[in-house]
Amino acid sequence: MEGFFMAFYRMGWHRTAANYVRFIANLRSFLSLLSMNTASYLPSDYIPIFIQLSLALGFIVVTMLVTHNIGPKRHSVKKDDPFECGIPTQGDARAPISIKYFLVAILFVLFDVEVIFMYPWAVNFMQLGQEGFIQMVLFMGLLLAGFYYVIRKGVLKWE
Amino acid sequence: MTFQTYDCLQMLPIILLSLSGIALLFLGFQKSRALLLPATLLFLVIAFVANFLDWGKTYMYFRDMLLVNNLAMIFTGVVLLSTFMVVSLSGSLADDEDAQPAEYYAILLFSLVGAIMMIGFENLIMLFVGVEILSVAMYILTGSDKRNLRSNEAALKYFLMGAFATGILLFGIALLYGATGSFVLSGIGNYAHSATNAGGSMLLFYVGMFMLLIGMLFKVSAAPFHFWTPDVYDGAPSLFTAYMSTVVKTAGFAALLRILSVSFSGVYDFWWVAMAVVTVLTLLIGNITAVYQASFKRMMAYSSISHAGYLLIGLVGLSQASKPAIAFYSLAYSLSTIAAFGVLMLVARNRPLNAAVFGDQTTLARTDEHYDAFNGLARKNPLLGFVMAVSMLSLAGIPLTAGFWGKFMVFSAAADRGAVWLLVVAVLMSAVGIYYYFRVVIAMYFREGQTDTIRVAPFYRIVLIAATVLTLALGLLPNLFQGLI
Repeated sequence: MEGFFMAFYRMGWHRTAANYVRFIANLRSFLSLLSMNTASYLPSDYIPIFIQLSLALGFIVVTMLVTHNIGPKRHSVKKDDPFECGIPTQGDARAPISIKYFLVAILFVLFDVEVIFMYPWAVNFMQLGQEGFIQMVLFMGLLLAGFYYVIRKGVLKWE
Repeated sequence: MTFQTYDCLQMLPIILLSLSGIALLFLGFQKSRALLLPATLLFLVIAFVANFLDWGKTYMYFRDMLLVNNLAMIFTGVVLLSTFMVVSLSGSLADDEDAQPAEYYAILLFSLVGAIMMIGFENLIMLFVGVEILSVAMYILTGSDKRNLRSNEAALKYFLMGAFATGILLFGIALLYGATGSFVLSGIGNYAHSATNAGGSMLLFYVGMFMLLIGMLFKVSAAPFHFWTPDVYDGAPSLFTAYMSTVVKTAGFAALLRILSVSFSGVYDFWWVAMAVVTVLTLLIGNITAVYQASFKRMMAYSSISHAGYLLIGLVGLSQASKPAIAFYSLAYSLSTIAAFGVLMLVARNRPLNAAVFGDQTTLARTDEHYDAFNGLARKNPLLGFVMAVSMLSLAGIPLTAGFWGKFMVFSAAADRGAVWLLVVAVLMSAVGIYYYFRVVIAMYFREGQTDTIRVAPFYRIVLIAATVLTLALGLLPNLFQGLI
């Protein structure tokens, strides 16, 4: 890896990259000067976005081409197998899966999102004060009521 | 950010319905299912009363997110009344082994929260949240008949197409925000007024407006966006089809009325042509395709498309008069549709599908919902025949029923705008409508058929009679909402 960075440095690409950033910044200020009178965005304002987009796409295409063409290829039964966590594959992708997996996944998403709401509230706990606290208690209460319902329904029972 | 008491205490229907939905979920853990139906009806009555506590006042709730005024309260009342009637027709769920009534009722109450948000939204975010709450609940209920292949198909179709339409709606909201810098209806309205006067490009605004309208027109099944309707209404259990074709439609039109009258009235000259074209298409496709249906339930699906067309006339002729007109039409349409589905459910339940007649379709549909099922119904069951006949007359718009005045009011709203050619199309299509609505009446009264006396539970009977009496009473009291809004 270090060798790669050294080669990068020796070839002067860091200067190219820095120049690219500077070019974008200059283009941006130049275009904003142009559009200052109208105080609205012109189509040309989006040029940096398109440059960014083409660079991102170009990176993907180039890496894909390079890795496919440079590396050595050795085929074997084991190597061509789909690789999933090291467990041998069973059946094809359309095998019916128990609905319980889906329910657990949905529940996971639900409680994941709940935590996302808790974080900003925890950070601003003092500022939000009593009102924020009541709202969070209501939110948690509704969520826990749903959780209790799910448990009573036996969704988490795996027999 | 102060904690204002009126902020959280007055938006009562939404809070009550959410809490009672949760309560119903837990009520479902009891062994007996007998308590579920009365509890749901009780919750609905409480929400109905709470809804009208603010009568005569105009409030803005949750930091300008939701508006409550008389119009919103009337629409909410119509939606709650329709739900009350649909739920009271669901007595047979308690005996159905496959059904899970507690969850169904809870989902219905949750979806009402979405409907109320769609009725009173002041912020486009509330519109989106309301549409999603209502739609997701509908996707679930459409597929609730899990062993019926057609129900599954309907749910998947509805979900895929509905999700796509919601995406378009959201894109429209984003573009409107980009153009106006506001999610608030009045803010967008101010921009529309000032920008049209100032001149200059409004491309972003117009594209956003039309994408939002397309998303909403999909939800109310207007013509170029109606393809999901027949399959979904046909495949869903009749009970939930009745709910979908009344509550969802009422809420959708309340939302359209609100956004068109508050936000887009300044650019009326720009959108009315597009809406008029959609209206004509909806009327033509809905009515003419309904003629060719052999299944009564499928005919009701196309009938609901055609009624979306009549309601759209009220929007094309947007004025102060179209507000009570659309509210009245929604009420009239809901009453007759629920009564018709009520009779259909009774008839279909007593007639398992005959394999010899319909061949391999037996695996798809469990009950017979064709016109033939109604043959000779009125002879042994005069009450059911009369209820069905009145609701068909009302849907066809025959005088002395509520449906006539509903049509009359939306037509006169459009006539004030001078859209006479639109009315010509609408009246012609009403004449077509008479043909397919009367097919049921003819089958019931003039055809021979083997129908036994159908046993009707007392409460079921009361609701059917109430819907019929209300339909006839509204036919004599057309000025119900006139002075209130």
